[in-house]
Amino acid sequence: MLLPEHEFSKPASLRDSLTELAEAGGEVKLLAGGTDVVFNMRGRLFRPDVLLSIRDLPELQEVEQLADGAVSLGAGCRLSELERHALLKGYPGLIAGLRAVASRHVRNMATLGGNLNLDTRCWYANQTAEWRAAKGPCLKTGMEVCHAIKSADICVALNASDIAPALLALDASVVLASLNGERTVKLADYYTDDGVQHTVRRPDEIMTRVLLPKNSDRMAYIKETARKGNDFAYATIAASADGHGNQCSRVRIVLGSLTTRPALLLKTAAVLVEHGLDDTTIKAAVGEVRDELGALTNLYTPAAYKGRIARALVREALQQLREQ
Amino acid sequence: MAGKRQLMTLTVNGDDYEMLVSPRQTLLDVIRDQVGLTGTKEGCTTGSCGVCTINNDRGEAVLSCLTPALEWQGKSITTIEGLEVNGKLDALQNAFLDYGAVQCGFCTPGVLMSAKAVINAFDHPGEEDINDGMAGVLCRCTGHIKVKEAIRNVADSSNETQRERRDDGQ
Ligand SMILES: Cc1cc2nc3c(=O)[nH]c(=O)nc-3n(C[C@H](O)[C@H](O)[C@H](O)COP(=O)(O)OP(=O)(O)OC[C@H]3O[C@@H](n4cnc5c(N)ncnc54)[C@H](O)[C@@H]3O)c2cc1C
Ligand code: FES
Ligand code: FES
Repeated sequence: MLLPEHEFSKPASLRDSLTELAEAGGEVKLLAGGTDVVFNMRGRLFRPDVLLSIRDLPELQEVEQLADGAVSLGAGCRLSELERHALLKGYPGLIAGLRAVASRHVRNMATLGGNLNLDTRCWYANQTAEWRAAKGPCLKTGMEVCHAIKSADICVALNASDIAPALLALDASVVLASLNGERTVKLADYYTDDGVQHTVRRPDEIMTRVLLPKNSDRMAYIKETARKGNDFAYATIAASADGHGNQCSRVRIVLGSLTTRPALLLKTAAVLVEHGLDDTTIKAAVGEVRDELGALTNLYTPAAYKGRIARALVREALQQLREQ
Repeated sequence: MAGKRQLMTLTVNGDDYEMLVSPRQTLLDVIRDQVGLTGTKEGCTTGSCGVCTINNDRGEAVLSCLTPALEWQGKSITTIEGLEVNGKLDALQNAFLDYGAVQCGFCTPGVLMSAKAVINAFDHPGEEDINDGMAGVLCRCTGHIKVKEAIRNVADSSNETQRERRDDGQ
């Protein structure tokens, strides 16, 4: 089946791309590795007027160590390059997140920027166009109704990125460029609760870089899935902390693939900073998880399962942190 | 709005092709319908099965079904037809024959191009490297054991003369 009608454009520089983005009449979809864009065009969820290819832009490819010890990663870097990059050797939790994505084949194409901007997914919307037509449109496809959760007033599709939780645990920021200049946004402020407009990126902006601040002393990353290769997660967890043994500070715990916005569990983390990583505190912290996650939205798996797996992953990740 | 067709050049297995390509075509469409090489198969078209696998100019496995053809303007790729050189099968192809790593054969082009990428990337691939390289391509009939045995055999023939002997089909 051919892709839907569109114009294809591949400017040579970031500046030309931003100009085209700002001046475009119709809907422009940025194309990086294409592994999500082409998938969604095949499913007729995306029908852009223009595909603007940014994959090979030289401005998006660099990985460098900054003066303050932070590492800057080009949004156009392919996942398989980042997995083995010398500057990321000290970030095993992030490498685990990179390697958790899909298959070697997909990671040879997919980019970091594409993963962080991956469209949200839903058991209803991610069917064929014919399947969807049988039930009619939803919030994501132009109607004021959600077929996944009848009572929902905003789209509850999931953020399925395997890398976002790892970068959130590391408190990364992203740099967005437009013709008006650059702005830096904490990844923790980048995602929203609306599955349709699921990031704060404006239509005239391109994500150019990801900034990794100082590394944490310890980090755990787990992806729970049906098969080890080529499957989206049932849930992922990334947790990081400074300190040794039971004593910990700067704790960040993030659950992915359960909610529209990857869930940064601040309350759960606060319990641990105060009391440490002993068994009793971990148990108390795990008790907070379900409440803090809030309403479990899109139901790929039953809600009860999601609650259970969230608690199990937090427990497992905290135990791993303690042992590191 | 009908997207403009664009003139593109693509090097396939060392041969240059110049073609008018629609934005609606994926790389897979162009390889099969315009270049006319139908060894590369179309399966799921959504990235799940890997039968459309080709090698990019770095010898890495990529999925031709998930990428617009025009994205490949000026680039060079290898398809299954490029494995055989001057009438001689690649060492991997011979090993697949020896080990019976083929049944209906539909997945075989994608499996071989995935295996080739593993051999390209590692002098001595470990079990994990082979699993990692092959997890994105599925075989519905032979299973993956004989495929892995065949790859392991070629990988272990690190001794060049042995590899050459395989290349000679002996
Ligand atoms: C079979 C299969 C399995 C998969 N499994 C997983 C998985 O396990 N885990 C996972 O996380 N993902 C998975 N994916 C989804 C996807 O392949 C990855 O998330 C991938 O990293 C997307 O990157 P890309 O460069 O291909 O993105 P693209 O498809 O090019 O783009 C994705 C989105 O990001 C936008 N975008 C891209 N670059 C930028 C930028 N620089 N600035 C702003 N917006 C941008 C695009 O406009 C688009 O909306 C899977 C996909 C397939 C087909
Ligand atoms: S046809 Fe490309 S992955 Fe199935
Ligand atoms: S040999 Fe039939 S699918 Fe693999």
